[in-house]
Amino acid sequence: MPSGAGNTMSTSLPPVAIPGQRLGSVSVYAAGPGTHVQQANIYASIAGPVVVDPAQPKTQTKSTLRVSRILPGISQDVVAAPLAPAKPKPRYNTLPAVDSIVLARVTRVQKRQATVSILVVLDNATASTGDLSKLASDNDNVASILTSAANPENHSSTDELRFQALIRKEDVRAVEKDRVVMDEMFRVGDIVRGSVISLGDQSFYYLTTARNDLGVVMARSEAGNMMFPVSWKEMRDPVTGTGEQRKVARPF
Amino acid sequence: MMADRRRINGPPGGTRPAVFASNSQSGTGATTRAQRQRQPSELRKIFLKTGLIPTASGSSYLEFEPSASLAAARANPKSLIPPSSALKLACTVHGPKPLPRSAAFSPNLVLTTHVKYAPFAARRRKGHIRDSSERDLGVHLETALRGAIIAERWPKSGLDITITILEAEDDRWWGDAPDSHDASWGMMNVLAGCITAASAAIADAHIDCLDLVAGGVAALVSDESAGSSAAPKLMLDTDPAEHRSILSACVVGYMPARDEITELWLKGDSSKASLEDGDKRTGHEALIDGAVDAARGAHTVLAEAVRESLLSAVGQL
Repeated sequence: MPSGAGNTMSTSLPPVAIPGQRLGSVSVYAAGPGTHVQQANIYASIAGPVVVDPAQPKTQTKSTLRVSRILPGISQDVVAAPLAPAKPKPRYNTLPAVDSIVLARVTRVQKRQATVSILVVLDNATASTGDLSKLASDNDNVASILTSAANPENHSSTDELRFQALIRKEDVRAVEKDRVVMDEMFRVGDIVRGSVISLGDQSFYYLTTARNDLGVVMARSEAGNMMFPVSWKEMRDPVTGTGEQRKVARPF
Repeated sequence: MMADRRRINGPPGGTRPAVFASNSQSGTGATTRAQRQRQPSELRKIFLKTGLIPTASGSSYLEFEPSASLAAARANPKSLIPPSSALKLACTVHGPKPLPRSAAFSPNLVLTTHVKYAPFAARRRKGHIRDSSERDLGVHLETALRGAIIAERWPKSGLDITITILEAEDDRWWGDAPDSHDASWGMMNVLAGCITAASAAIADAHIDCLDLVAGGVAALVSDESAGSSAAPKLMLDTDPAEHRSILSACVVGYMPARDEITELWLKGDSSKASLEDGDKRTGHEALIDGAVDAARGAHTVLAEAVRESLLSAVGQL
């Protein structure tokens, strides 16, 4: 396993772990995601490949042991054997957490807030690179999720199964917060990239788009055509040439 | 039981095929009781596979090996009625998904379990609405799983675990008349199977848990050949169809890595157990230990099934 690199300092780690399997001692490793600690030992709590993250010299002294939800073999296999039959890829659930970047579809726009339903929670690693094509987890078909979500025919079919979130008026942008008009920021059906600021109340998460890289990433014009961004607050229809106002995310 | 008003219901008593006394006592061997061929501590083989239902976030299918007499009866059929039945069930896990709007805020994962018999699962047909025994199984299953799941890692979300029982264990041999030792013994085997299958499905859905919790059954069975006066013996993974009278039985949900029991269900009279000489345990202690041993056996299958699906997903198989 390539992920097992850097574990020379202790007894050999298993390449994959199943829940309840002992992985190592807390005196050697720090417990990362997908593990739990019981009586000074680190145990796996999900099934997956064991990954050792090397210690950061400044902040931590021990390397972190975690069990990955992402299966590295899949993307590598695709490169190694392009003719292999395409297996249905496993889907994993990632919950939105504070500071995670999500892609969401606008379902309702009101005077003080917009309601969105969260389509995808982007991993930290992928969110920083911004390369959607390299996603290896359940999000590896982001493109298909987004195209199907942006299609008006698919609206409101699966909203009950998705996590709902609110973008409040004051969280839309960082400047001139009091001048925000929600109708000029979002329209129903837009795909928005946002950052979670709070788990919120019983029913809604709270999102913010108050950063340059956050905001509307995909939108259709009134005529129904996919628009392209022309500035931080305008998108344009390539067919009719008319512009519409949005809180646009900076294109990468 | 609440009546299902939307459907045309069958007769409430079920549709059990008529069995005539002359037929069942013909002495041809076709209708003799199934005999336990296994050692007292030997379990039936378990088939367990995860990830069979693509639309669910996790799923598993579990099957117990049919007893030897059933195989013999199939090879040489003398009666249309199978001598015993074996457990077959499918488990799906949906979620984590948002809680319904009406639900209050929960910082933890909210677990919901549904156990439903297919109408044809048992010799007595089940209705479309869950009856009290099915709800009871659901509560027991939830107790068993709640102790194993790390619920605080999934705030504000719910997890639905649905088990469909395709074939259930018998409560007694079908040819026996009901007697005083009757209880729903088959339900305890069903619960053990539910726990093992649900645990595999949860691991398949990548929900954090402390350990794979496995279910096991042990029972005190009175020996038939020695007459009813003989003290009952401890047997693991009992098939109720193979024994004339089960005096008491026990199901546990057990986590081997931590040596913890998450669910314990003991039924019947366990006071008169005949243990080996020098064994100072009381009857119910021996019963619980036996059930834990059975759960350890099931755990090896469970761990292997989870590892197998993981390795095939990683692509190393």
